[in-house]
Amino acid sequence: MLRLQSSWLLEAAAEHAGVDSLFFPYFHRFSALNWLSRKEITLYLNSPVDSQAMLARAWINCRDGGFGERNLQKFNQVIKKPLELDLNPFRTWKDRFFGSQQLDYLFYWREAAYEIEDEKQREIFWSVVYQIISYWVANQKAGTRIIYEPDQIMAYYLNQHQRFVRGRSGRVEISCIPLEELAAGKNPLIVFPLLFEDEENSETELQIIYHAWFHGYADLEQSRRDLRNILRHYLISFEKSSDWSLFVRLAAGADSAALTWSGRDLPPKIYEQELIGPMRQAFSAAYKSSRLTYKAVDRTCDAYDYLLMFHN
Amino acid sequence: MLITLFNAALIVLITWLAYRYFELRERTGPVEGRYAQFLAGVASIVDRIEGYDAAHSAEVADTAEKIGAAAGFDAEQLQSLRAAAMLHDIGEMLLPRDILRTSERLDDERVDLMRTHPILGELHLKTRIETPDEVPAIIRWHHERWDGLGYPDNLKGEEIPKAARILALADAVSAMRHTRPYRHRNYTDMKEIDAEVERQSGLQFDPDLIALWLNISQDYQIRKI
Repeated sequence: MLRLQSSWLLEAAAEHAGVDSLFFPYFHRFSALNWLSRKEITLYLNSPVDSQAMLARAWINCRDGGFGERNLQKFNQVIKKPLELDLNPFRTWKDRFFGSQQLDYLFYWREAAYEIEDEKQREIFWSVVYQIISYWVANQKAGTRIIYEPDQIMAYYLNQHQRFVRGRSGRVEISCIPLEELAAGKNPLIVFPLLFEDEENSETELQIIYHAWFHGYADLEQSRRDLRNILRHYLISFEKSSDWSLFVRLAAGADSAALTWSGRDLPPKIYEQELIGPMRQAFSAAYKSSRLTYKAVDRTCDAYDYLLMFHN
Repeated sequence: MLITLFNAALIVLITWLAYRYFELRERTGPVEGRYAQFLAGVASIVDRIEGYDAAHSAEVADTAEKIGAAAGFDAEQLQSLRAAAMLHDIGEMLLPRDILRTSERLDDERVDLMRTHPILGELHLKTRIETPDEVPAIIRWHHERWDGLGYPDNLKGEEIPKAARILALADAVSAMRHTRPYRHRNYTDMKEIDAEVERQSGLQFDPDLIALWLNISQDYQIRKI
């Protein structure tokens, strides 16, 4: 779990130099980049996870407006009769996360979108399914009533998407390159939102389900393995010393580097000892100084957000 | 004999501890009360600037506290939640007055400006607090949505601290209970508000809190408009 606070990041960066572009070799969730993408800053965003890169293209780099009215009429249909479950590739998810009707729609939406001629429009349609899965899973876990019918929630989120992308004119470039193959770009600031190896929360679970849906996998374990494999050199461990070589290599062309994460259940002193010390050591050859700032989120459970800036 | 002496010592110790407790309570009690009154005074200025004719911030704080208690918050968490609720819109005091009091729909530029108020509130409070405190953070995130489409940071789900999720719900409920010039729809009874809140489960609001709210809404009869 990570709370990326863009204004905090820019404030910290501005203490040293003006920032006109930012480079994220990895971003943890597309919508967290909304605030930055509306600033007069060039954003270079990379996600080695193709389903997440697609979501960012559809929501953060969408300058042509929302989903067209004609496509809405054509593709947001009501399924009148239940579909044959045997044909549904996601049938093993029944009663685990979704009911029969929801599975019918997950199948229909994925297949129907192939008929959308314009690729950008297709990506908008698919990207909205991420929000819908999130809505269904969250309510299913809480045992709360799902009030919107599938076609209504699809229309709701297509409308939300339209509002989200309105007035967007920022300079954003999105790539989907494996981290090991990604080159270090020359940038004023590189940002690393950190992920912890042993942490699985509702967002990572959602990304696993969505990645499986996006690729048409029935097997969620395969999706989990895929994601872990893609991020294997990026995940941080508390148990064993982490390898920071990927981070240091990617930061080679940047004037400053920012590492940010959300801590839980441990006081800042432990983080300083276990994590920040090794980070400082790893980056010491590239940067002369560093500054740690942190904010309290909930002092009763030692939840703090951290921002560690390296600069010359 | 030893037992009698031990009992006597125990009684003396308990009496002394009780004396210290009451002495301390007497010394700190009025300060806490005064602090709460000053907080309410500041909050009422914000309410007036926002155009509320009733004590909106105090109402949000009461509602948030009830939801927080139902969610199992301890005394310290409730105190932080109440302080954040009283001051949640304090950043609006730094915005141009015409944005706050207009009855017209705001254009995109003014919406963006309006949406800076949680950050302004957090920044200005933070500079006055020496040790890290969660109240500015709760204020920063009181307009986040469960589905990640809120502002300013587009936090999603459990990333949003529970206190901020509670405050968002309490703020929305309170806002729905008051007529506002720019709103498309004004609610006429509490059942309509509850129905709207339930519709937003998993969209704007944390589904777990919706369940709590619907219980509180019935139990405590917070149904006056």
